[in-house]
Amino acid sequence: MTLESFDHTGVFRALADPTRRAVFERLVGAEMTVSDLTTGFSVSQPAISQHLAALRGVGLVSERRAGRFAYYKAEPEALAPLVDWIDKYRAFWPERIERLKDVLKGMDR
Amino acid sequence: MSDLADTVEDIVLDYDLDEAPEKVWRALTQPELVAAWLGPNDIAPEVGHRFALEPTPDKPVDCEILEADPERRLSWRWREADERGGMVDSTITFEVTPTPLGGSHLRLVHSGVRAAGAGSVLGAANDNTLMLWSLKWAA
Repeated sequence: MTLESFDHTGVFRALADPTRRAVFERLVGAEMTVSDLTTGFSVSQPAISQHLAALRGVGLVSERRAGRFAYYKAEPEALAPLVDWIDKYRAFWPERIERLKDVLKGMDR
Repeated sequence: MSDLADTVEDIVLDYDLDEAPEKVWRALTQPELVAAWLGPNDIAPEVGHRFALEPTPDKPVDCEILEADPERRLSWRWREADERGGMVDSTITFEVTPTPLGGSHLRLVHSGVRAAGAGSVLGAANDNTLMLWSLKWAA
């Protein structure tokens, strides 16, 4: 999946669900099966599978099949558009507030 | 979980200004003054007022006033298009407090990203609230 084809909005939406976000976080740096993941969540295996499907759909999680097992891991670089978004505004606001200060200095009273 | 490096939080910026809250409020709410530091706009400090803002040429932001407590607190929704034509919502809040020497303390908070995708998602926007900044990811 290239960055150009990335579903920016879908990533926001996929991570809006707290359980799904928790699944994603558990899969960062750790490859797990669905049953590994189900341990530690008070969520059924089918529900975990659904969350995984949603995360895979936007490229946040990848699947590797080996024999009769499927292993899942997070693809954190898929968050790059969100990081870019934040970086943009971390630079934007201080610059604009400096302009605001100039505006205030120029006001009559 | 050692790969989880960063925790991103709301963008929060604090400033001490020489001007009194009354003056700062005008700079935050009068279109011609806002235009001088934030971009062309038709802002009015009334809850529910929708206005267009163009902080960057040809990249308009669709705004709606969420809170307007004169000389204290101003908040608006900040809705912009992402690269694919979806809409991304966040919230801008200005908090103004008087300082003992007659100036103001200004706090700016930019927070709470949520995605309102094309089509039906807009109607279910509350279900799509994403507090982006609570996310952690590998740097």
